[in-house]
Amino acid sequence: MSLLRAWITLIWLTVRRLIWSANTLMVVLPLAACGVFLFVWRHNMEPQEYADYARIFAQFSNVFVITIFSLFVIPVCALAYATTSIGGDREERTLLFLLIRPIPRAMVLAAKFLGTLPIVVSLIGGSFYGFCQIMPAPVADEALRLYLPSVVLMSIAYVSVFHLFAVLFRHSTIIALVYSLSMETILGAMPGIIKRLAVNFYGRSMMYDLARDFGVQEPLFFQAIDTVSAQTMLAVFTIGSMSLATIVFVRKEYRDLS
Amino acid sequence: MNLTFQNVTKFYGPVIGVNDISCQIGPGVTALFGANGAGKSTMIKLASGQLRPSQGNVNIGEKSSWSTAAKRDFGYSPDINSFYEEMTGREFVTTMSRLYGYASSEAKRRTELALLRVGMADRAARRIAGYSHGMRQRIKLAQALTHDPQILLLDEPLTGVDPGGRADFHQLLAQLADDGKTILFSTHMLAEVEDICDSVLMISRGRLLASGSLSQIRSLLADQPLTVEIAAVDARHVASLLLQMPEVRSVEIDQETVTVRTTNASTFFPAINELVVEQQLDISRMQTVDEGADAVFSYLEAGA
Repeated sequence: MSLLRAWITLIWLTVRRLIWSANTLMVVLPLAACGVFLFVWRHNMEPQEYADYARIFAQFSNVFVITIFSLFVIPVCALAYATTSIGGDREERTLLFLLIRPIPRAMVLAAKFLGTLPIVVSLIGGSFYGFCQIMPAPVADEALRLYLPSVVLMSIAYVSVFHLFAVLFRHSTIIALVYSLSMETILGAMPGIIKRLAVNFYGRSMMYDLARDFGVQEPLFFQAIDTVSAQTMLAVFTIGSMSLATIVFVRKEYRDLS
Repeated sequence: MNLTFQNVTKFYGPVIGVNDISCQIGPGVTALFGANGAGKSTMIKLASGQLRPSQGNVNIGEKSSWSTAAKRDFGYSPDINSFYEEMTGREFVTTMSRLYGYASSEAKRRTELALLRVGMADRAARRIAGYSHGMRQRIKLAQALTHDPQILLLDEPLTGVDPGGRADFHQLLAQLADDGKTILFSTHMLAEVEDICDSVLMISRGRLLASGSLSQIRSLLADQPLTVEIAAVDARHVASLLLQMPEVRSVEIDQETVTVRTTNASTFFPAINELVVEQQLDISRMQTVDEGADAVFSYLEAGA
């Protein structure tokens, strides 16, 4: 009997169940809607407008990448899988079968996280790549180069935060959805220091900071922080959320499983 | 290997789940018997490391049941009906087996063995979503057996199982007990399984009322009324003699059967033996009718 083998089995089980879950259909729909939106936008451009790459890049950045994609698409895609990863097992009560196996609880949670991460990152990163390709080639190349790191870091941070939600709350998907669509949006748009509690503030700060020289201007009240600080804070969100989730998960009695 | 409860108390907030329970469960079949809400599931959850005691210790062998190490030593069949429904029974049991760290080929071998033991080998290729309640119980039992644990914890394993399945289950438990396994299962239908139990834990309102074999427990209740049916040719004469005995509380006659209620079982039986010899009574049958598990439990619960 090998603990490592059991752990790898659990990671694989997580990946397999998430890919074939109804959530995949749930996230494909908003991603397809984004694709249609960009496709229609590009085809409605006037010929003279089409050659103004700097203007297209700024519009694509402000309207799509920093607003629609960062504020809504990334958190929704991340929560669809991250809350289901352990929250689905909790709601369906199958978590019980995992907790009675001789795998330390910290490793159970780590397996869930590691099983979820590649799905979320490849789905969000891959769809972002696809959306960029709808734009003219110079815009696509620049957007990918500037924004992909922020997109990936935000995805990882959201996966961590939503795992914490799943460990803490039974109906974590609903709570995470309300949090993403209200708290993240409202907090991230608040003037002053309160917005620093929102994950998307740091992701969007990175985007504004990196794209400033390309004509992308942040709103006056946004007060983006520099890229290194934003990256550090996203790492703090990731590590902090998973550490807290691990502490809670290791100690918690899940009385609602049977 | 023993399962030990040492002064175990479990609170759910202000509500007490089990109250100062101490017992040691060794090899053989032990039934945990009590009404709904008595604390059976709490005890099983404590034993399977799902809950931690508020006070006291629950040990699997020498290890705390909450520890990861203890989880290798027991198999647990929960009372829930939740599975990975999209899997077949075979896939589910194999996956659960692999979560013990077995290589794929070994996990498959153990899965087939477990499926064979629970009588599901020929039906395990179907998806769990289409399984009946009884088949689900068997699959739960199979996943608990794959790693050949020393201790088996079964929470209401007979719920939804048909009579044929129950007979199979009895046979399986007897085999496992012969192999030296410690088996604890909760039930609220003790009368159906008392024949296969080596001992019984009777629990009510979170307290352990009694433990031991049913006859041992019954002997503790010497001052409780016992009902005895006596078939005699001259039932009226037998009844009149019985009424003169100080241990007899009441007598009823129905054709050739006398039903006696006695307050002291330990002196009643020697006394009636003497009476039969002295009076040359023609008695064809004598049996207790309330020595069964349910009656014993009722007495204990009333006295608790």
